[in-house]
Amino acid sequence: MDFALDDEQALIAQTVRRFVDKDVRAWAADADRAGAAPPRLTAVAGDLGFFLDAVPEAAGGLLDGPYSHLRRALRGVELGRGCAGMAALLETNVEPALAVGRWGSAAAQAALFASLAAGGLATTARDARGTLELSASADGLRISGKLGPLPALGVASHVLLLARADDEPVVALVDVAAGRREALVPSGWRAGAWGTLALEAAAVPAAMVLARGDAAAAASAEILTWYKTSLAARAAGVAVAAMAHARTYATERVQFGQPIGRFESLLRLRDDADTGAAAVRLMALHAGWLADRIKDGDGASRAAAHDAASRARVLAGDVVDRATVDAVQILGGYGFVNDYPVEKLMRDARAFAQLLGDERFDRILDLRAQEA
Amino acid sequence: MDIFHDNPMLAGVRQMLGAFARQQIRPIAAHHDREESMPWALMKMAQGFGMTQTAVVDGRKALTGKDEDEGDAKKPKSQARLGVAGSEELAYGCAGICLAIGGSGLAASPVARMGTEEQKQEFRRLLKGEDEHGHIKVAAMALSEPATGSDISGLATTARPDGDHFVIDGHKQWITNGASAAVYVVWANTDPSAGRAGVRGFLVARGTPGLVPGRKETKLGIRASETAQVHFEGCRVHKDMMLGIGQSSEGLGDTKKMLDSTRPMVGAQAVGIARAAFDYLVERVQGGTMHGTPLAHHQRVAFELAEMEMEIQAARALVHKAAWMADHHLDNVRMASIAKAYGAKVAQDVTSRALTLLGEEALEPGHPVEKWYRDAKIYDIFEGTGQIQRRIIARSIFGVNPT
Repeated sequence: MDFALDDEQALIAQTVRRFVDKDVRAWAADADRAGAAPPRLTAVAGDLGFFLDAVPEAAGGLLDGPYSHLRRALRGVELGRGCAGMAALLETNVEPALAVGRWGSAAAQAALFASLAAGGLATTARDARGTLELSASADGLRISGKLGPLPALGVASHVLLLARADDEPVVALVDVAAGRREALVPSGWRAGAWGTLALEAAAVPAAMVLARGDAAAAASAEILTWYKTSLAARAAGVAVAAMAHARTYATERVQFGQPIGRFESLLRLRDDADTGAAAVRLMALHAGWLADRIKDGDGASRAAAHDAASRARVLAGDVVDRATVDAVQILGGYGFVNDYPVEKLMRDARAFAQLLGDERFDRILDLRAQEA
Repeated sequence: MDIFHDNPMLAGVRQMLGAFARQQIRPIAAHHDREESMPWALMKMAQGFGMTQTAVVDGRKALTGKDEDEGDAKKPKSQARLGVAGSEELAYGCAGICLAIGGSGLAASPVARMGTEEQKQEFRRLLKGEDEHGHIKVAAMALSEPATGSDISGLATTARPDGDHFVIDGHKQWITNGASAAVYVVWANTDPSAGRAGVRGFLVARGTPGLVPGRKETKLGIRASETAQVHFEGCRVHKDMMLGIGQSSEGLGDTKKMLDSTRPMVGAQAVGIARAAFDYLVERVQGGTMHGTPLAHHQRVAFELAEMEMEIQAARALVHKAAWMADHHLDNVRMASIAKAYGAKVAQDVTSRALTLLGEEALEPGHPVEKWYRDAKIYDIFEGTGQIQRRIIARSIFGVNPT
């Protein structure tokens, strides 16, 4: 067992860290107030390989071999340190591109990759509670209901949908033109180009259905492994950023004759948050490492990776919530106002536990199904 | 012991303000949160319910027609319990609007406690009528400073004697109603060598030269309540406007006592937020399913609601006990801090857990539970942070003067 990064991993982490420290952090407050990422983000991040890193080279992308979720987790931690909203945009194409590349028909690949290669975005939706109405036929799917709110859906061309149709899992690529889109700016991840998509008996052609039944269940587990791993890594970054701000403030702020950072109660808040963030980072890296080792047709490797990603995501939701709330606490009145960055981090923290639905609920239902 | 049931007066206040919260406050809460604006029209309407800006100075008479301060001073009262019952109901509607309605009470408390009859009259006079915008007039208590948050004994604002006047210089921060107030109760040090005893409160009218209302803050939550900086630059105030004039003042000690009396109400507001999130979640769970199974049939959801209910009931019992002790003239310093700190913890806990259970739907802009989550955080910060409350409780446990 070797916990050291290899040269390539270290280079990726270092490059993204530099990008985050130089650009993303500098843009974050304005992007939060404006409710939109700066236009420069696309060009600068594009030069670093974001947006197209999961699109095959042959289709105009940058992927010329197996995709590494471990490397993605490493960069996710760095992105989380910068801005969760912009990080969501930078990571949003990965799941749709990998899924369509792996399980999509030629038509699905042509449609998605052409859009992404032209600068488009895609996003991922999961019908966590089964509230969508889906019916399947040989011609494809009919879908009614609302997708989202989801990051990137305000501008995306396609949605990778994980749902159930006629009580069977299904994975499909939905063209956003099939529904009525509404762009939104929620409280957190405000730079994330959020949106909803209202579908009324929207037709999804069979060529856009990536998998059904057992194959869809396996594909969904793998896609969720990628997504949850990335969410956990980014959440660790947000927690780290929150405590970095709190540490700086606590060193400078003097109350009762000493820097408040010396008070044991505040040291404990910081230490708990730093410990949690370190644990989530390691769990996310582990989940990424396992995701890189999933073998086709090997249910055990897929289940192990999904379980690791799910655990990482449960803890990530708790840790980032606590860390950002405690960072606001350490800054006190200053933490509650918009002049300081921690109130944004507290707003940003919530989506990590809410996107894709309640992770604890999923785990309970999965465990019960496994042990039935 | 009568803290476990509402007497008719408490029940009446709860019913009246509960209806006011549901019918008048809740429908406009999202708007004022989004726009970060004060609900001036509603504040005017609230005056019709006895929630006047001078209610604290006027005593309970304004609300009930009876003044408990008359007669035997040792007789138990119900003012604190009325305060917690009403506060919970208003915050159930919207904590920010609750604070907008009651914000002047922060300034009125020291006037009621330490002011002379002339100062009370002046306070009432300055709050009479409407301002140039047609808004009701509000008051501000200016205590916190940029470098003085939790440690309020380190106030840097000074009040230098100059003939019949004091000259106030300094900067105040996080002041409720700071930009709009018609009258400020400003805390300043008249004699730094005297320590706490040198800290005194002054009534300062808006428009007094040297009083400069500052920038309004953009906040995480309670956005319907205005928070602003206030600056004092050579602000001359007549010595008659010093609270507690002619008395051997306890200086800041009085301020701290005042916080002890308001903390149960603050804890009750936190309970109101938690109850709002809880009720919302119950309604959603009753109508919701998980792949066809009612959500309420899942222990993951049902037991979470049970945990929340336990926390809310415990927090409410604590704030009512702290208020009951105040009404019975018992030392409630420890219990007031317990009630405030636990209420804040419960409000944050319940709103956070509710958001997780609601999932993506609560990511919609303007979702009420997301707003309550943001509102809840301030209850662990203002009126003494959670750390300050725990310090008071711990000192009390070990028999050290808690304040």
